[in-house]
Amino acid sequence: MATINLTLKVWRQKGQKDKGRLETLPAPGISTDMSFLEMLDVVNERLTLEGKEPVAFDHDCREGICGMCGAMVNGLAHGPERGTTLCQLHMRHFRDGDTLMIEPWRARAFKVVKDLVVDRSAFDKIIAAGGYVSASTGGAQDANAIPVPMETAEEAMDAAQCIGCGACVASCPNASAMLFMSAKVSHLALMPQGRPEAARRVLAMLRAADACGFGNCSNERECEAKCPKEIKITHIARMNREYMKAVFGSARE
Amino acid sequence: MKLESHAPGGPIETRWSRHKNQIKLVNPANKRKYDIIVVGTGLAGGSAAASLAELGYNVKAFCIQDSPRRAHSIAAQGGINAAKNYPNDGDSVWRLFYDTVKGGDFRARESNVYRLAEISTAIIDHCVAQGIPFARDYGGLLANRSFGGAQVSRTFYARGQTGQQLLLCCYQGMMRQVAAGKVTMFPRREMLDLVIVDGKARGIVARNLVTGELERHAGHAVVLATGGYGNVFYLSTNAMASNVTAAWRCHKRGALFANPCYTQIHPTCIPVSGGHQSKLTLMSESLRNDGRVWVPKKQGDTRAAADIPEDERDYYLERKYPSFGNLVPRDVASRNAKQVCDEGRGVGATGLAVYLDFRDAIQRDGRATIERKYGNLFAMYEKITADDPYTTPMMIYPAIHYTMGGLWVDYNLMSTIPGLFVLGEANFSDHGANRLGASALMQGLADGYFVIPYTIGGYLAGTALPQVSLEHAAFKDAESGAKEQTRRLLAIQGRRTVDDIHRALGRLLWDNCGMGRNDQGLQEVLQKVPELRDEFWKNALVPGGADDFNQSLEKAGRVADFLEFAGLMAKDALTRRESCGGHFNEAFQTEENEALRDDENFCHVAAWEYKGPDAEPERHVEPLVFENVTLAQRSYK
Amino acid sequence: MLWVLRAFSSSVGKKFLMAATGLGFCSFLAAHLAGNLTVYWGFDAFNSYAEHLHALDPLVKFAELGLLTMALIHIATGLTLFYQNWTSRPVRCQVKRAAGGRTLFSATMPYTGLLILAFVALHLITFKFAKGAEETVSQLASSVFANPLYVGIYTVGMLVVGSHVAHGLWSAFQTLGLSHPKYTPAVEKLSLLFGLVVALGFGSLPFFIVLMS
Repeated sequence: MATINLTLKVWRQKGQKDKGRLETLPAPGISTDMSFLEMLDVVNERLTLEGKEPVAFDHDCREGICGMCGAMVNGLAHGPERGTTLCQLHMRHFRDGDTLMIEPWRARAFKVVKDLVVDRSAFDKIIAAGGYVSASTGGAQDANAIPVPMETAEEAMDAAQCIGCGACVASCPNASAMLFMSAKVSHLALMPQGRPEAARRVLAMLRAADACGFGNCSNERECEAKCPKEIKITHIARMNREYMKAVFGSARE
Repeated sequence: MKLESHAPGGPIETRWSRHKNQIKLVNPANKRKYDIIVVGTGLAGGSAAASLAELGYNVKAFCIQDSPRRAHSIAAQGGINAAKNYPNDGDSVWRLFYDTVKGGDFRARESNVYRLAEISTAIIDHCVAQGIPFARDYGGLLANRSFGGAQVSRTFYARGQTGQQLLLCCYQGMMRQVAAGKVTMFPRREMLDLVIVDGKARGIVARNLVTGELERHAGHAVVLATGGYGNVFYLSTNAMASNVTAAWRCHKRGALFANPCYTQIHPTCIPVSGGHQSKLTLMSESLRNDGRVWVPKKQGDTRAAADIPEDERDYYLERKYPSFGNLVPRDVASRNAKQVCDEGRGVGATGLAVYLDFRDAIQRDGRATIERKYGNLFAMYEKITADDPYTTPMMIYPAIHYTMGGLWVDYNLMSTIPGLFVLGEANFSDHGANRLGASALMQGLADGYFVIPYTIGGYLAGTALPQVSLEHAAFKDAESGAKEQTRRLLAIQGRRTVDDIHRALGRLLWDNCGMGRNDQGLQEVLQKVPELRDEFWKNALVPGGADDFNQSLEKAGRVADFLEFAGLMAKDALTRRESCGGHFNEAFQTEENEALRDDENFCHVAAWEYKGPDAEPERHVEPLVFENVTLAQRSYK
Repeated sequence: MLWVLRAFSSSVGKKFLMAATGLGFCSFLAAHLAGNLTVYWGFDAFNSYAEHLHALDPLVKFAELGLLTMALIHIATGLTLFYQNWTSRPVRCQVKRAAGGRTLFSATMPYTGLLILAFVALHLITFKFAKGAEETVSQLASSVFANPLYVGIYTVGMLVVGSHVAHGLWSAFQTLGLSHPKYTPAVEKLSLLFGLVVALGFGSLPFFIVLMS
């Protein structure tokens, strides 16, 4: 088992209102089989034993699906690998002697809670605005009543697999949430069950996102490059279409 | 204490309908007068919160993550069962019921399981109506795949991310109710105690994980959906924050804990690579549809998989179980993996792994087909291990995955504390001693969407529930207890990290209360757990303060509860003088090394009552009556 | 009609304005370039193109008004977006790296836009408003490009315009939702090609004119 020695420069910030700074922490003897978060665990164990406060970071499933973890590693959301969350980033991708700059997601809409932990409740607000099908429990018809072309279901699934981690916002030069939002709009716009509310949904979700203080999309494709689920910006294009359809083709404003 | 299941008698096919017809109803206008507290927002809690709010109740929902969309249900990969019989292969509600009872080694309550099978079809209908992009055939109809323990294809799936799609669907339904003002969401909150007033569950005390503040929340009923306790083993496929705390605190307040020794070991996980490992990653059981499990015939064979000729490979599951082959239930597959590794035929650096080989499937169906079915799983495997499963066989080993035990509930999903309902993995009800694949999602959603909306009404309509004040002595008492525990944890200031002690606990349990158990090992657990608990309270080191975002403190509280719970688990395992499903005591096995039940003496649920910190817990028994299936030795040959 | 204002003041609405006006400018550029390229058939052809164009005076005035309106919308919306995007991240990363999505063209859009604005102002002053009544367009061009400084400014200006449209064209398609796996790859290539044609087509003119004069 190979080991490497690293130097971390980690963003430390006590609370939302405090001023943050970078702290240099050595990380010697890191096994290359570790995940990035396990490397942080090791550093935190040492900090704890030294009587210092460990680095706070969000994480939960550690298998790349819950969307809880995430940090900027050397200026890249979730680190250098494509299609990978921070918990699935393994230390074999780093070299002995590397210095790693670890910072939280940066966006006006994502306030830092502590160290690397940010508040992503803006995403919940966007979903609450319309990211659902208003079908209450109990009234559904048979599941096979409406056939859905396989390609459509697959394309909807491409979008639906968004994990809401926020890497799109973090990597967007404008801190825009378009990829996140479009993933839900596109998923539900493709499925026949989502069509009845399509107009209302896109208008309301966009309004909510704008109110949260995200930036605007300028088609720079950084989100697509760093999305751990490799969601494509074609979904943003679909959302834009849906928006225009809603504006000019529906009774809604 | 007599455990009354309240399950109706009579023909099993109509039990649920008849029960529903007799449940008292709450007038629509009155529903808005009731506040329901839902703790946990996974499939069970999320679906319950959404459905109850749709009915008009005021729901307060709590989760420990930053958003309800993170709950660990999201990690379920393979699928969800439903007795739709779309493939025309002979499935029915009865067969799903029977498979589940048999899969659970005849240790589940018949009425509950039948209801689960009956509801399964409505779940799929509802989820499709919500826009879930389930896999489909070219004609646009829903596709199915097969899963362990069944001979029909009844599993609906959305690639390898079925749990994610189902959870996000619940989450969206919940957020719709948040927007409607019917659900109030409390994220980053950890329930630290249950508040009981006049013998009924009337509220909780929760810690705001950002500010450290202890909050009191009152309601007319409490719905607990906080998942399982698999993390007592330290290494498991559970999420890092999954814990037993909420359930354990309810247990200490009087809720009986049933069958804690029923833990499920999942056969297809990525093997442990080193001491730094923080969690184990599951590879969906659906892989066993196309992957073939094998080890070398020779002991200590260190050749690469590709260099081992066909006739020197032992496809041991296919050899021993010709009719189910690689699709035997999880407990059987796990034990067999352990057995071949114990024989010295394990593969990989540690010798604690077996191969799961897709070579033949790729040759038969082509790489594209395999990629469409399992692409994301293969990618995940490659990310973690740096091996390409398209060219070299996967290595897998069993790991703790799910816990069938949980708080005891009756047919209405109410615990022994009136007003405390327990749903999903947190209860004990439907899976007996072993859960079949793709049925956890089914149970969580059945409980939340289609059971609790009916049964909670029956409780509320038939119970006098005067308003309680947050200043009530019970709230004060619960809050000061939680505060005191926090103070104690921070005051230890010892020399071992909480993780270090948790690792020691996990090792102890995995070795002695894991896949194979024996009396000697269980005695050792019972002796060493209190020592470890003492060590924790004398020598743990919890940095930081109480009034802050303090993840070390959160972890310490959870490990403190695991250290108490572990003793109960071992005691339950030791008391159950038989093997069944996930509980395998080596002293009780057939000649073919299968679990040997003792239906005469142990065909019952063991539910434990908490008697105080230093007193022995009391074991109560709910006999299991099987009127519709014949108890038989499980056979998958 | 308040709904129209509301629709176009949202983030997607603003992008629509940018895309629609941007596509308008791309068509203008194409027409302008086609006209200017007549110079390669000699000054006579060039002058005759200019005369024919000005013979359509009411139409030209109308087009100019349209261009002006589009310019005002494009500039005002562009500046708003620029400001909003700038403030959407008050605390920036100490280290920020591109992940492979953005290009030099896309990253510099606001800046190339502002440079183009400055260039257009200068261009209008030197060509549109400075033209004497009896002067032919080729004479004017020869005299302006006699100044090497202006040749330099013009050439750099055209490179900047090329860069702006190389991202702008496909970006407008994307924003308007005109995206499909069947044709989007072609649009992306076309966009780069258009940028190149604009930069080379316009950019080569001063040198040719200087040579011819």
